[in-house]
Amino acid sequence: MRGGERGVAVRLEGLSKRFVHGAKGEVAAVSDVSLEIPPGTLMTLLGPSGCGKTTCLRMVAGFVVPEAGRIWIGDRDVTGLAANHRNIGFVFQNYALFPHLTVFENVAYGLRVKKRPAPEIVERVRRVLALVGLSGYDSQFPNQLSGGEQQRVALARVIVVEPAVLLFDEPLSNLDAKLRIQMRAEIQRLQRALAITTLYVTHDQEEAMAISDRVAVMRRGALLQVGTPHELYYAPRSLFVAQFIGRANLVPAVIGTATAEGVALTVLGEVCPVPAPEWPVAPGMRVRALVRPEAVGLARAGTRAGIPGKVMEALFLGEKSEYAVEVAGGERLTVTTSDPALADLRPGDAVTLTLRGELIRLFPEGRE
Amino acid sequence: MVLWAALALFVCYPLARVVTEAFHGEAGFSLGAVGAVLGHWANRQALWNSLVLATLVGVGGTALGFAFALAVVRARLGRVVTFLLDAVTVLPLISPPFVSAIAIIFSFGPRGFLTYHLLGLSGVQIYGLTGTLLSEVLTYFPLAYLTLRGVLASLDPNLEDMALSLGAGRGHIFRTVTLPLTVPGLANSFLLCFAASLADFATPLILAGQRYPVLPTQAYLQITGLYDFHGGAALSLVLLGPALVVFLLQRYWVGRRVFVTVTGRAGPRGERPRLGALARSVLIAVCGLTALLILYFYALIFVASIVRALGANHALTAAHYRVVVTTGWKAVRDTLIIALIGMPLGGLYGVALGYLVTRTEAAGRRWMEFVALMNYALPGTIVGIGYLLAFNRPPLVLTGTAAIIIACYVFRYSPAGIRATVALLQQIDQALEEASTSLGASRLVTFRRVVLPLVLPAFLAGLAVVFIRSMTAISATIFLVSVNWTLLTVRILEAITELELGTASAFAMLVIALVYAMLTLLGWGLRRLRTREAGAVASLLEA
Repeated sequence: MRGGERGVAVRLEGLSKRFVHGAKGEVAAVSDVSLEIPPGTLMTLLGPSGCGKTTCLRMVAGFVVPEAGRIWIGDRDVTGLAANHRNIGFVFQNYALFPHLTVFENVAYGLRVKKRPAPEIVERVRRVLALVGLSGYDSQFPNQLSGGEQQRVALARVIVVEPAVLLFDEPLSNLDAKLRIQMRAEIQRLQRALAITTLYVTHDQEEAMAISDRVAVMRRGALLQVGTPHELYYAPRSLFVAQFIGRANLVPAVIGTATAEGVALTVLGEVCPVPAPEWPVAPGMRVRALVRPEAVGLARAGTRAGIPGKVMEALFLGEKSEYAVEVAGGERLTVTTSDPALADLRPGDAVTLTLRGELIRLFPEGRE
Repeated sequence: MVLWAALALFVCYPLARVVTEAFHGEAGFSLGAVGAVLGHWANRQALWNSLVLATLVGVGGTALGFAFALAVVRARLGRVVTFLLDAVTVLPLISPPFVSAIAIIFSFGPRGFLTYHLLGLSGVQIYGLTGTLLSEVLTYFPLAYLTLRGVLASLDPNLEDMALSLGAGRGHIFRTVTLPLTVPGLANSFLLCFAASLADFATPLILAGQRYPVLPTQAYLQITGLYDFHGGAALSLVLLGPALVVFLLQRYWVGRRVFVTVTGRAGPRGERPRLGALARSVLIAVCGLTALLILYFYALIFVASIVRALGANHALTAAHYRVVVTTGWKAVRDTLIIALIGMPLGGLYGVALGYLVTRTEAAGRRWMEFVALMNYALPGTIVGIGYLLAFNRPPLVLTGTAAIIIACYVFRYSPAGIRATVALLQQIDQALEEASTSLGASRLVTFRRVVLPLVLPAFLAGLAVVFIRSMTAISATIFLVSVNWTLLTVRILEAITELELGTASAFAMLVIALVYAMLTLLGWGLRRLRTREAGAVASLLEA
């Protein structure tokens, strides 16, 4: 592999694309998306199905021609360039391995197309197959491989040509849960080792959080927020992002006193100090509070002061337990705990909840 | 563009010529000829006879095909028996159309081996509806078998397990789950057998005779006997009606339904449901007897080809084969030349059209596919008469050449290759081509290195069908042979009409041997390609 070089930046500028839909007429698949992927990093496009993330990816690959906007790979404008001249590696959802070629020939395909000398091809293919842990599989055919092995071949096939950019289209969605986690770590390891700038598409927020340097959340063709997984989880800028990433309780609340440092919030009948939001607030204002499950402390009723509630549903998940708790006024909160002493709560049990105000985020009432 | 021109010239133009000829009276356009044809009671009778025969063959062929399919898919017969049943059912598909007809005459005719010699009956009347029906059912039931075996094999056993777990009995499940899911397949089989019978020209010519006139033979006699092109065209046009109805039904009604349960990705599969003991025994008896009858027919043909005169003089002789290699040799050579030229042309045409239809945005590609497939569905009589009318005079005179026969075969029998290519390409994810592009390959390189190898099985299937049909078809090309170029099947027919049944049998054996050799060769080629469906001769013919 190329040592030293740290990849190139990829820049999308104002990309737009409309499709003609049979029933709905013309639909904007992607509208005015701008995004910069720093050299050597892994950026994920995350969003529900139909949000335009795959269309974006395919525009970068050159399979779809944008109606407006430009695509830059490094300092090269590739907007009008054919897919076979872009020097990208595309990993397909169903791997798209050539069924009539052996593992070796699949991996060698890009090198043969580029007419590399035979000894070099053998050498590079062997090296890449070793890298993905498939030494000795040379003469197997794709249909003789397991899903995970096929995935590795698909990876090897693109990294062997040393592309400037790696593109992944939901590469793990055909694998079972355990294998998905394993392959996810492997993709991350390879991407870090090779430092190839990568755009990764998935609808699975957990996968996005685990694998990405940065995540771009999309919805209805538009980019909502770009940030590190940490930023998106703890500082979502919209309710959509808050709800799409992680678990979220949204609770009605009222602003009490407000200063630059913080706000005294009346929530679930308690007054709780929380950080001030970025937007202006005034006393008496109705807001919505984002309360992550881990921002709620759980105890049996009577053991400490707090908000009284009743367990409505109990879900034992092994290393943690998840409860739906109803409080006065009928609000329901999802609460998790990893305390084994609280693993045996049953529906109907009375509990006490406490809030960690520093983890609560505020959103204006009535806006998404 | 080139393909469009070819289709227009070799499919649309001849068909249009049939129509104009039929409606062309003394004073321009007239319904006279068609009216006259329909006015004649014998022709009305022929139309009625054709429809009755086709319906009976449709029902009989589908029933027998269903029995075979059930036996093979459900009765746990073991590999050897299944292989034998497959081999037996393939025989009628690769034989010239007269084999069962000759065998039936040998067995049940006035001096029939079974009726006269074995049972001592005389005056048994096999000519007419009975004999024709028997022969056509035995010849065409494999079409139903291949269709229904596919349908039954792809039924998700989980559905029947589900019904079982809900407390339904075996018979009840068969009636309420299995049969309804098979209905599209049954309908398709019926239509296939119906269309085949409707178009069949050879069997009625030999077995139906004057007692049971049908349309294709009437049209043939009108032209070759009376040189009445008007009447012939009009008669074949009458045939066009039901044939088109069947084609449209198949394409737009059955076609939409057939694949409903064929998802390709069923859950984990349970064991195939078993049959009850009684049902199993009945099925095995029916299939066994049918298979034995077919084998007996072919054995009879073989014996007939090596004895002086079957039924009269059983002295061994090579005389019949001597005829084949002497006076008959021209027909053998002509047929082989035509088949070998037509084969690659037909194969390429099939793949090219299939690719165009599925993978490009070419204008009118749906219509292109429709026109191409329609030519396959039309009875050969219409196509033959159309070619005769179209290429007998300028702008393009081809009558008497090999080209007219080759063109007829290429355009008539390549649709199998087209359908195989379309089916294969639909299974091939577009992502494969994108993967190749993103790895730096140009369109041309992608086509050569990815698409072409993947559609090779379809190409071979196309080759096989064109070859088989070139060796065995007669209904269209009987109008196109000449002194210069003749065909084996026509030669067989001549031998039969001159009552040289031994010679006819020898020719038939030769055709079967040649076709079998070619299929073995292509099957070997397919296996070398390591595709899943490799090898099975039958799968070549399903398309």
